[in-house]
Amino acid sequence: MGLTQNIVFGLVTGSYIAIAAIGFTLIYGIVNMINFAYGEYITIGAFIGILAAGALPVPLPVAVLVAMIGGGVVSLALAKGFFTPINDTGPIPMLLTSIGLGLALRNVIRLLAGRNARYFETSTTTFRFEGLPALSVGPVDLLGNVFVTSEHLIVIGCAVVVFVVLHALLTRTDVGIAMRAMGDDESLARVRGINTQRIRDSVWVLAGVLAGLAGVLIAIQTNASASTGYAHILQILAAAILGGAGSPYGAIAGSYVIGIVLALSTAFLPSGMTELSSAVAFVILVGVLLVKPSGIAGQEVREA
Amino acid sequence: MSLASRLPSGDGDRALVAGVVLVAVGALFALTPLQTTLPGAFYVFIEVGTLFAIYGMLVIGLDLQYGHTGLVNFGHVVFFAAGAYTVAMLAAESPFAGIGLGLPWPAALLAAVIVAGVLGAAVGTTSIRLRDDFLAIATLATAEIFHSLFVAFQTIFGGNVGIGSIPQPVGDLVTDTDTAMTANILLLGGVMLVTLAAVTRLTSAPYGRVLRAIRADDLVTRSVGKSVFTYKMQAFVYGAALAGFAGGLFALYNGAIAPGYFTIQVTVTVWIGMLLGGAANHRAVLGGLAVIMGLRLLSRFALDVAPVSSSAFASIRLIVVGLILVAVIRYRPAGIWGDAKELGVDT
Repeated sequence: MGLTQNIVFGLVTGSYIAIAAIGFTLIYGIVNMINFAYGEYITIGAFIGILAAGALPVPLPVAVLVAMIGGGVVSLALAKGFFTPINDTGPIPMLLTSIGLGLALRNVIRLLAGRNARYFETSTTTFRFEGLPALSVGPVDLLGNVFVTSEHLIVIGCAVVVFVVLHALLTRTDVGIAMRAMGDDESLARVRGINTQRIRDSVWVLAGVLAGLAGVLIAIQTNASASTGYAHILQILAAAILGGAGSPYGAIAGSYVIGIVLALSTAFLPSGMTELSSAVAFVILVGVLLVKPSGIAGQEVREA
Repeated sequence: MSLASRLPSGDGDRALVAGVVLVAVGALFALTPLQTTLPGAFYVFIEVGTLFAIYGMLVIGLDLQYGHTGLVNFGHVVFFAAGAYTVAMLAAESPFAGIGLGLPWPAALLAAVIVAGVLGAAVGTTSIRLRDDFLAIATLATAEIFHSLFVAFQTIFGGNVGIGSIPQPVGDLVTDTDTAMTANILLLGGVMLVTLAAVTRLTSAPYGRVLRAIRADDLVTRSVGKSVFTYKMQAFVYGAALAGFAGGLFALYNGAIAPGYFTIQVTVTVWIGMLLGGAANHRAVLGGLAVIMGLRLLSRFALDVAPVSSSAFASIRLIVVGLILVAVIRYRPAGIWGDAKELGVDT
């Protein structure tokens, strides 16, 4: 496979990571916590989508909508039950709570759904672009044949729609502007008459909706199992931190970097070491934290 | 004068006496032909008890880092794994997979402490300056990286199979299983108590006061002329080296290691034990760990009568563990025996 093909894979991976990373980074910026249970929100979204598409057969686009609404409701309910009551305790207790909650949720899902992976029934069309000349540099083929499936296009398309809608939301609506104000300075926002708790709730709903969408997209691309979300949480985290924690635009950029690096490392690592491709994301994460912890577009996270 | 009144009064000194006595009795079983026979029902208790002694060292080290100094290390298992793999690779004799150099085990154990300490120093220099929650993420990511390295490099770390045929010093001396188990739990329990004594000595000295001052407010500590970074670094490396020591002992006790022993589960277990007991209090964290590991014991018995499969049961146990963590943070942030005022949390 050529480099171009791997970049296509990277863009697809980057797209669903980006959708999730936006939700993750909004929670970080506005609720001021690292939500380690966010991966489980994604899993829940994926399973809601599978249930909707399988048990009460609705067409896929409707199932996606159901998963998004379900994700938003679940996220708000979990926030009300677990995170809002301890909002004032600081980032560490909230991070630890989310780790505990994530562990519990993951096992609840495993208990209910079993250990088998579920798949979406989708029909795929593959578009091939053949006859591109091979442009070899050493063992690396820079062009080569490329194929794109309709699933790839759906994932990338959804991501683009999310970016546009999110940008409109953050710049054109009262709620979005209030969110950005809170991300900047919560006390000032409150002084200006913003109901901070309501904004926090809307962030939880928005993050849940995005997690639901990301979950279904991941399930369409691969499958849905109890560990689907958990397998992606560190990549999402890496993307959000790379972009600058709290910045949705940075998170989008970070996600595509992570996605493409993952795809390339899977392709070019020697066989038998493909497990290392997940380590690559963490190496990037640690590297970013060391070199430029503020990320592509963010704030300082070092204290001394 | 009764015997009781002659015992030292401090916590640390008592732990030292108890630890030395346990090691001596354990050595008696290991070195002399003295034998024990255990009732079959006891096996599971001894097994979990031995694991408790090893995890106890982990939680004491973690408590030095988080409870006393306030360093949020969420990758503690990586130092445990580093120690275990060092011992395995240096001491194992021609294992099925991975490297085994067949060196004498005391040298390997010493190397384990050094390797874990050096790894701690490397992680520390790079990440200790990060804000609390990002330090947690950086350490967690380090643990995940090493876990995937252990799985990926089959020729070096043995992949998923891990490394076997590690010498078991006690098992080699004593042929009979019951006696070996008794000697193991006594020796490891004793060693754990001796470490407890050493760390208590450290934290009750003025040195420990500086650490707790850093936890409370590192700006103030720096303003009275203490090098906050140096102290944080030392606490981090001590905790890491102790975890490496525990890992080395685990490898020597178990005789084989695999990546499955070193998952994030270990980190979560010691963290919950520490928070449940009450951070910054060595006896309390051990108590908390005992409660969590007691739950594991309880669940083994409950499994026999429960009408669910063992994998479903494992899930239920983890749900309970996760919810305990959530509940402790919400309702008793200082833990069961912790001092809420000292830790600066509201109950």
